[in-house]
Amino acid sequence: MTLAEAIFLTVITASTPLLLAAIGELVVERSGVLNLGVEGMMIMGAASGVAIAIITGSSLLGVVAAIGAGMAMAALFALLTLGLATNQVAAGLSLTIFGLGLSGVIGAPFVGVPRAGIPRIEVPILSDIPVIGAIFFRQDPFVYLSIALVLGVAWFLWRTKAGLVLRACGENPVSAHALGYPVLRIRFLAVLFGGACAGLGGAYLSLVLTPFWTAGMTAGRGWIALAIVVFASWLPWRAMLGAYLFGGLIILQLHAQSAGIRVPSQLLAALPYLLTIVALTVIMALRRGGGQVAPQGLGRPFVPDR
Amino acid sequence: MTLTRRNVLAGASALAASSTLPFAARANDPLGVGFVLIGPVGDFGWSTMHDVGRRRMEEVLGDAVTTTQVEAVAPPDFDRVVNTLARAGNRLIFTTSFSYFQPTLRMAEQFPDVMFENATGTSTRDNLAIYNARFYEGRYVQGVIAAMKSQTKQIGYVASFPVPEVIHAINTVMRGAWSVDPEMRIRVVWVNAWFNPGVEADAARALVDQGCDVLCQHTDSPAPLQLADERGIHGFGQASDMTRFAPNAHLTSSINNWGDYYAARAQAMIDGTWEPADTWGGLESGMFELAPFTNMTPEQASTAENVVAGLRDGSIDPFAGPIVNQAGEQVIAEGESLTDDQIRAMNFFYEGIDVSMPG
Repeated sequence: MTLAEAIFLTVITASTPLLLAAIGELVVERSGVLNLGVEGMMIMGAASGVAIAIITGSSLLGVVAAIGAGMAMAALFALLTLGLATNQVAAGLSLTIFGLGLSGVIGAPFVGVPRAGIPRIEVPILSDIPVIGAIFFRQDPFVYLSIALVLGVAWFLWRTKAGLVLRACGENPVSAHALGYPVLRIRFLAVLFGGACAGLGGAYLSLVLTPFWTAGMTAGRGWIALAIVVFASWLPWRAMLGAYLFGGLIILQLHAQSAGIRVPSQLLAALPYLLTIVALTVIMALRRGGGQVAPQGLGRPFVPDR
Repeated sequence: MTLTRRNVLAGASALAASSTLPFAARANDPLGVGFVLIGPVGDFGWSTMHDVGRRRMEEVLGDAVTTTQVEAVAPPDFDRVVNTLARAGNRLIFTTSFSYFQPTLRMAEQFPDVMFENATGTSTRDNLAIYNARFYEGRYVQGVIAAMKSQTKQIGYVASFPVPEVIHAINTVMRGAWSVDPEMRIRVVWVNAWFNPGVEADAARALVDQGCDVLCQHTDSPAPLQLADERGIHGFGQASDMTRFAPNAHLTSSINNWGDYYAARAQAMIDGTWEPADTWGGLESGMFELAPFTNMTPEQASTAENVVAGLRDGSIDPFAGPIVNQAGEQVIAEGESLTDDQIRAMNFFYEGIDVSMPG
């Protein structure tokens, strides 16, 4: 395996949790809801996933539990912001803080319990192709799943009627409501999907990438996922690009250091956010006078009149 | 009793309200001892071992002490936590991180009746002692073992921050490695964290991908060692025995052992003989020990044992001259040896270490 291949493989594994969380949040924001609780849902997924995997001895059940934990957190957020129409920013931030605390409690009995990670899937024949084989056909199931999710979300949002309705709820909830669509129910489902994806991203951390539990192990990845959604200007393919770009930056700076190249690692740590601002600026400049990139109704509570 | 930071802070207001509590407890009361930890008790490393030390102290001194521990205290919260501990009647407070050294100086001034002890600090006051272990002796042994195990002649080092403790450790690993094979090289990745399992693992991957086949780590999670196991190479654990995380990769770990020191210092408080000491114990002192050597041939293990014996009796001095820095300037001449203060302030790499300080 050449160094370039090795770097590529590492970039993929470092980017996958970011991509999983980002693609979920993208759907949530497309429906008009801003959920800043990604970090909290992610770490709850990481804690619940490893806890159930250790108790039952089954990684699959761990993954299911992680998805469930993410969705439970998302449901709580939905209760506050959709049911009670509270401020989404405040509710999202509380969700993150709540998740970081509660995950510590759930994970406490499992601190220091080592277990084997989820193995890679080797696609027969194809995985033996030089270069491409190792990169594309010798990955763990989460990597394939994350790519399938991007495909699925892109198809759903732009090629199905349901996707169109979901986007309508994000652009103009009043009109969607007037047309008879259940805006709150659609937003609720989107928020649940976002929670499931964040939980999955968390499970990737605690079951595959570093298979053990420690408090605070998401270490800010939920925030990078949020930045990716903005960087991607709410488009699935760009979210994939963003996730691999940000993941790639982290890995390349580590390699540069290892090769003895002097790099300002603190600056590189800030780069994802800087790039997000640059991307937004560029997109807005290109669309001079052409309206908004973000869904119009993003972050605004919607209360249907009866 | 272990308190979380939240509990302690919540209790602070209640205490402040009834703040007529005397600072010094009465003679028959057990001695209150406070501990402030930088990480979670469950970090498997640095903070875990301070907690083990605290429990050992309770075991030795029994009813003569009561302890209060606050874990995962970020430096900005430090003053509030120490305030609470001091007002709750703790007369001896251990602050267990270098990040707490400056804040501890400040709090020691504010509470002259409370005795403080800072781990890895650099100077003492009337009511502030410092303590540390000569972990670099373990690093020297790691270097010797790494040079015996490595096929690619490259050691990978997952480093946290460019502070003297880490810099002199990197220098010492190479000193040890060169004593076996002068061809040995080192690669270093700074992850800018003491504890971030994901990035530690990615840093380890980068090092292995670039050809390192023995990993040293100066961060606290078992992630780099786990990765070494996955990749079929070798590595060393940090702070506690990490064999179980990497049964096929683990060579040895430095195991911190603070308990006897804590017991002795608390006993000194009870006896009224506490002094603001500067304690820096090596392998000989028992403040740390090496986990049983694993995944080595008997010959390799016995070579390592000999080095340990040499460090214990002083026949091996990891900081003996001549020492030349990266720029080619001689720091000390042959026959001299670095003083403790020079070691504690070390801010340069030796000649032959091709690593830059992070900028």
